[in-house]
Amino acid sequence: MASTIIGAGITIEGEISTDEDVVVAGTVRGKLTAKEAVTIEHGATVEADVQGGSLVVGGSLTGNVTAVERVDLQSGSRVIGNLKAARVTIADGAQFKGNVDMDV
Amino acid sequence: MTQSRPQPRAPVHGRSPGETEARIARGARVRGRITGHGDLVIEGQVEGDINVRGDVTIAEGATVHSPSVGANAVTIAGTLEGNVAATGAVRLAPGARVRGDLQGTAVAIDDGARFAGRLDCEFDLPPELGGTSQGETRGRAPARR
Amino acid sequence: MASNVTIIGKTTRVRGRVHGPGDLEVQGFVDGEIVVTGDVTVALHGMVGAGIRGRRVVVRGAVKGDLVGDEAVLLEDGARVVGDVHAPRVAIGPGALVRGYVETGEGGAAPARTARVQPAVRPAVAPAAVSHTPERAPAVVASKPAAAKAVEPPARAAPAAASNSGPRRPPPLVVPVLKGAKGQIAKKRER
Repeated sequence: MASTIIGAGITIEGEISTDEDVVVAGTVRGKLTAKEAVTIEHGATVEADVQGGSLVVGGSLTGNVTAVERVDLQSGSRVIGNLKAARVTIADGAQFKGNVDMDV
Repeated sequence: MTQSRPQPRAPVHGRSPGETEARIARGARVRGRITGHGDLVIEGQVEGDINVRGDVTIAEGATVHSPSVGANAVTIAGTLEGNVAATGAVRLAPGARVRGDLQGTAVAIDDGARFAGRLDCEFDLPPELGGTSQGETRGRAPARR
Repeated sequence: MASNVTIIGKTTRVRGRVHGPGDLEVQGFVDGEIVVTGDVTVALHGMVGAGIRGRRVVVRGAVKGDLVGDEAVLLEDGARVVGDVHAPRVAIGPGALVRGYVETGEGGAAPARTARVQPAVRPAVAPAAVSHTPERAPAVVASKPAAAKAVEPPARAAPAAASNSGPRRPPPLVVPVLKGAKGQIAKKRER
C-alpha cells in the first residue's frame, strides 16, 4: 500500500485521515488518524492526537496516541502525551512524559 | 461571405479547389460585420462582429477586434480583443495574444500564449468538491476599453 | 528518507492548510489552502477544495479554488478547475476543463511572498491584478512584451499588486530559494 509522506519543511495544520501508511518528516498540527503504520521521523514535529495501526516515533510528538498494535518510541524521540496500545516500547534515549495504558 | 464593405476575395494560395473559405490577406483591413457559412481565415485586420458557421482562424500577425466571434472551431495564433463563442473547440497557439472570454466545447491554451479573460466550460466537479456549481460567480474580467 | 517531497496518498484526506518549502503531490483530497514554494501536482484522481499556490502548479485532477503559479500553471487532460488562474505562463491542454478567469503574463503573476504563509497577501492578488489589466491592455496586445518576458527566468513576480504603481514595472527580482530566508524575504517583498 502506498504511503502518504509529509516531507520535511511542510506544515499541515488540520486533520489528516488515511487508510494507508503515513510518514511524517515535517510538521503536523491538529489530528492524525491512520489505519496502518504511522512513522514520525527524527526531526519531525507532531502536535496532534495520533491514531494508527502502529506508531513509531523518532521525532517530537505532543499529543495522545492510540495504536491498535504497538507504539515504539525510538532513541532521540520526545513524546509528551498518553500512550494507549497493546505493546509499548520506550527505547533508551527516548524522552517520554505521560501515561501508558496497555489494557487494550 | 457577407461584409458591409465588399472585399474582393483574396487570392487563395495552395488550397484545394472546392473549399469554401474566405481569406482576409495580410495587408487587408475590414471594418464591419462578417457572416457566412464557410471557414474564415484572417491574416489581416478585422474590426467588427464575426459570425460564421465554419471555422475561424486568426493567423499569426493578424489582429481582430470584435465584440463577438461566433464560429465552429476557432484557432488563434494572432491577436484578438473580443469574446469567442465557439460551437467547437477553441485553441490559442503559442504566439496568440487574446483578451476576452472564451467559450467552446474545449478550450486549449498552448504554453506561451498570452491570455486574459474568462473560460467557461460546462462540467461538474466531483461531489466532494460540491458537484454542480451553477451560478457561482468566480473570477472577474478586467474592465474593457 | 522523505526529503522535500510531500505526497498526500490516494486514501488520505487532509482538512486544513498545507504550507512550506518543497514539492507536493496530491493523490487524495486536500480540503484547505496549499501554499508551497515548490511544485504542486494534483494527480488524476486528486482533489483540492481550496486555492493552490506554488512555483509550478500542474493539475490533472479536480480543484475548486484559485491557482497561482509563480512560474507556471499547467492544466492537463482530465483537469477540472473552478477558480481563477494566474501565472506568467499558463497552458491549458485539450481535455482540461476550466471555469474561471485566466490571466497569463506579468498581469498574471502574483506578488512576492514570504516563505511563511501570509494569508493576507493572497486575497490581494486577484483584485489588484485585475485593476492593472486595463492599463496594461494596450501594452499586452499591441506591443511585443514577449521579448521582455523571454528574458525573465522563473522570476518571482514583483509585488505589483501590492504597490499598485503605474503601468509597466521593471522586471521583478529573481528571488533565490526561500529556504531559511524568511526574514530577508519579508524585506525584499517591499519594492
